[in-house]
Parts: sequence; structure tokens; C-alpha cells
Amino acid sequence: MTTLYLYAIFNGLVLGAAIFLVAAGLTLAFGIMKIFNFAHGAFFMIGAYVAYAVAGQEASSLPLFLAAAFIAALVVGAIGVVTDLAIFRRLGNVPHEYTLMAAFGIMLFCTGAARIAFGQSVHAIYPPQAIGGFSEIGLPVSHYGLFIIAAGIVTFLALEIGLNRIWFGKLIFAVARDPWMADVVGLRVQRLKLASVAISFALAGLAGGILVANQSLSLDLGHSYLLLAFCAVIVGGLGSIRGAFIASVIFGLAESLNSVMLPTMPGIGSYALLIILVLIRPQGIYPELSQ
Amino acid sequence: MNRAAQAALLLFLLLFLFAPFLVNPGLVFLAGFAMIQIVFALSWNLLFSYAGLISFGHAAFFGIGAYISAVALRDGYEIHFVLLILVCAAFGALAALLVALVVLRRASGVQFAVLTLALSQLIVVLIGYSSLLGHDEGIAAIPRPAIDFGLFTVDMNQPLTSYYFVLAVCLLAVGLMWLLAKGHVGRAMRAVRIDAERAAFVGIDVWRVRVIAFTISGAFAAVAGAMLAPWSQIITPDYVNWLQSAQPLFAALLGGAGFFWGPVVGVIGLSGINYLTRTFAGLSEVLVGASLILVVLVAPQGILGALKQLARRRGGRTPGGHA
Repeated sequence: MTTLYLYAIFNGLVLGAAIFLVAAGLTLAFGIMKIFNFAHGAFFMIGAYVAYAVAGQEASSLPLFLAAAFIAALVVGAIGVVTDLAIFRRLGNVPHEYTLMAAFGIMLFCTGAARIAFGQSVHAIYPPQAIGGFSEIGLPVSHYGLFIIAAGIVTFLALEIGLNRIWFGKLIFAVARDPWMADVVGLRVQRLKLASVAISFALAGLAGGILVANQSLSLDLGHSYLLLAFCAVIVGGLGSIRGAFIASVIFGLAESLNSVMLPTMPGIGSYALLIILVLIRPQGIYPELSQ
Repeated sequence: MNRAAQAALLLFLLLFLFAPFLVNPGLVFLAGFAMIQIVFALSWNLLFSYAGLISFGHAAFFGIGAYISAVALRDGYEIHFVLLILVCAAFGALAALLVALVVLRRASGVQFAVLTLALSQLIVVLIGYSSLLGHDEGIAAIPRPAIDFGLFTVDMNQPLTSYYFVLAVCLLAVGLMWLLAKGHVGRAMRAVRIDAERAAFVGIDVWRVRVIAFTISGAFAAVAGAMLAPWSQIITPDYVNWLQSAQPLFAALLGGAGFFWGPVVGVIGLSGINYLTRTFAGLSEVLVGASLILVVLVAPQGILGALKQLARRRGGRTPGGHA
């Protein structure tokens, strides 16, 4: 029984790290642009397809797998630059609801384009040999799971340090808090926004490249993580990386323990938890100060 | 509302009226489907552009109506279908009232949108458990009722009668919503959306107006769902999930959310794109996505807003001023 719970907790941590990889870019984009980027899931999916195109069904080595993930990040980041220049930048004067619709439009556009480009088929992707195995320490621990947890923690630390301790992060924060004032003190607001949107999209691509082997690759890949990532961003506090990390782990554990404790009612835990958490604390764990 | 838009709406009405004599049965089915979506989209827009609340889980109320109606028809309850529609409306209103009472006290804006989304996804999950509601496969082969009105009988098994019955119910629902929107309640809702604080100052109970708006909107969404069950004869959880909830948003913003008739134009536009691109996998999504982006960039007031601006420019009056 204990083993079962330990196993569920391990799986929950893996899922939590996976959710965070998607939520990180989402919450960053919200902090900067103040819009919910519904297209994030679609770019995550495109990242997964790019990684698949680079590394194939089973990457021959770990470096190749990582390289494929980084190429995916670069490609999706580049798409992000184009999207910002063509669409997001022009939305400054329209109400928030309409920016939401633009994001929805981008999502549909990308899903449709991916359907035309990659076809309808579902691919099974395997992690490379080096992290494909299991270790037996009382319970089977998948190396790929450990790899995802490590990737989640590395991403978290990189963003946390990058945004709070490095000059560039402080500039981004300044723009996020008050674009007008940032402009007055001489920051290049448009360029900084462009950079942070590119980072947000690159994170989506990276997440796609890393998580591609976690489940079968299909066009619905975007939806499966997007809703949970949304939950994490809301509960964490809009725009907060730290909050998103904590909330992602909470939702990962909830989803995983749900399958052990309530096996007859799959998938109910995270939604119930979301409703309870938002009703208790609507502003999130780390509320956004500028709102 | 300018003359071009009025003429277009009249044309749409005529097309819907004579659709069975003009086009093939496949298109007639889509026309009926579009009418139901119009009622659904209008009920959502009542909330959005009149009360200023974005619901992302509106498909839940649509689903309540659809499933109650589907189960009642499948199991052959001896209930008059018109009464059944009213029962669906009552349940939709009740569910919306409960949600409003719990959620509106705590959350607003994005949190409100996400809470409604989570509640509707919870309902999708619960439907998946229920064998009464057919799990993930939904309810198929729903029989169409024959409705006895005393003097005459409306048999929905005949294609023509069933189309006109759906049309009549939809027109009635749209008319009721129009009266509500233009009447006292609608004006109070508008005041709350534009400036809640000032509305409270002139004596409008903001909280109550929002709860009422949400309840009314839920009832009409349920009516739309109740009509779908006999019309499409199949109800699946896909009609309850978040993509269905997003449909009215698309329609309202595409047509022009500031206008009562905006969602009508939007639904017809979206149905048109979907129909024209139905044979190309992926192309319809690309086109719908591209047109949404285009509308936001070029005409953020939607199609009706763009028409209005065009008319104003042609009329030579100065642009701007109050809408």
C-alpha cells in the first residue's frame, strides 16, 4: 500500500514538473502581455513535432534528444517573434477580450496548419536509450521521469534567477509592471516585450521537445497539458513563476493521487481542487502586484 | 444599426424561412443547427455585452438542457415537449443561479472565467461516469417527438415540420431575449457593465443584476440545448466541453459583441466557413483562425461594427463620438 502511494507521489511529481514546463511560458506571457495565450498549447504541440522531425521516433543519444528540444525551442521562439511583430504588437489599443480572441485564432490557425503539415496520424515516441530504463529502489522509478523532474527544476531555477537577479529580468519586470513608466525612463519597451514573448514561446517549444516522449504525439497534445497549466497559472497567481511552480506540483500530485484514492472517478481531482482553491484565494498564491 | 445591416438581417431571416425549399436536406440540417447555435450565442452575449461577465463554461448550461431533453425523449417519458423545453429552461436557470450565487461573490474577471470553465469541465467528467448519460459516447438515436397542440399536431418525424418547429422556438427565444435586452433589465445590465460603481450610486443592485443576468442566460442556453436533442438526434459530451463554450465567444466577437444581433452574423459567418471548407482537413481551422485574427486586427468592433463605421464615413459625419 505504501509502495502504491509512493509510486503515485513520484508520478505526481513527474506530472507536476511537466505541467510547470508548460505553465512557465504561459505565466510569463500573462505577466508581460496581460493576455491569456490560448495558443500556448498549440506552440507546445508544434515544438513536439519539430523535436520529432529532428530526432526521429527514438533519439539515438541523450545529447541528440536535448539538441532536438533546443532546436524546437529556437524554432517556436522564432515563430513567437513573428507572431508578436504581426499580431500582438498591434493589439495595444483593443480591449482584453479581443486579444483573447486573437490568441484563440492563433491556436486554431496553428492546429489547422499542423494538421495539414503533419497529417492526422498518432506517433509513439520513445525517450533515448540513456534515460529509457528503470531503477528498482523498492518501487520502479523511470529514468525519463527523473529527467522530466530535473528539467522542471532547472527551468524553474533559471527563470527564478534570471528574472529576479539579472539585469535583463529586472528590465522585463519593469515593463510588465508599468509599460508607460518604463518608456518614460528610457527603456525600449517594444523590444523588451518582443524578447519576453520570444522567451515565452521558446519555453513552449522546449517543453514540447522535452515532453514529446511522455505520451503519444498527436494534434490533441496541446489540449492535454494546456488546461492543467491554466489551472496552475491561475492558482499560482497570474504572472508569478514561483506560484506556478508550487501550483503545478499541487495539481500533479492531485491528478496522480486521484487515480489511487478514487480509481472509479478519474480526472475529477484537479477540477475540484481548482474550484476550491480559487474560491478560497481568488488572487492566487503569489498575487500579481500591478493589478 | 444601419440600413445595410438591417437588410442583411432581413435577408438571413428570409433565407432561414425558405431554406427547405431552396437547398438540399444536408444544408437544411446545418441551417437548423445554426439557429440553435444562434440562440446559444445570443444567450452568452446577453451575459457578455450586457452584463460584462465572461463565462467560459456556458456549454454546461447548454449541456444540461441537451441531456435532460435527450434522456426524456429516449426513455419515452409521457411529457409534452413544450413542457419539456420549459423544464430544461428551469433546470438551466437553477444551475446558473447556484453557480452565480457561489462564484460571483468570490471572483471576477479572469478568475470568474476560469471558475466557470472548471465547473463545466467537471460536468464533462461527471457525464463520463454516468451510464444513464451514456458515458463518453453520449446518447444516440434520440427519437423525435410528435407534439399535440389540441387543434393540430406537430410531428417532428416529418423533416419540414420539424424544421419549422425548431425555427419557431428559436425565433421565440430570440424575440424574448431581444425584449429583455431592450427593456428595463437590459438597461440595468448595461449600466452595470459600463460602470458598476456609478450604477450602484443611482440605486441599481449590482450584485442582483449580475445574478439575474447569469440566471436568464443559463435558461436560454438550456433551451438551445433542449432543441438540439431532437434536431441532431445525438448528444455527446463534446457539446459540453470548453471548445463548445468558446463558440459563442467567436460568434459574438466576429459579428460584433456590442450589437444585439452581432452573434447572429457571427454564427452564420462561422457556419459558412465550416461548410465551405468541410472537405479539407485542417483548412477550416486555418481559415476560422485567420479570420478571427483578421477581425481583431482590422475591425475590432466585429463585422457589424465595421459596417457601421463604413456607413458613417459614407454619410460624411465625423467619426468617433458615442456609439
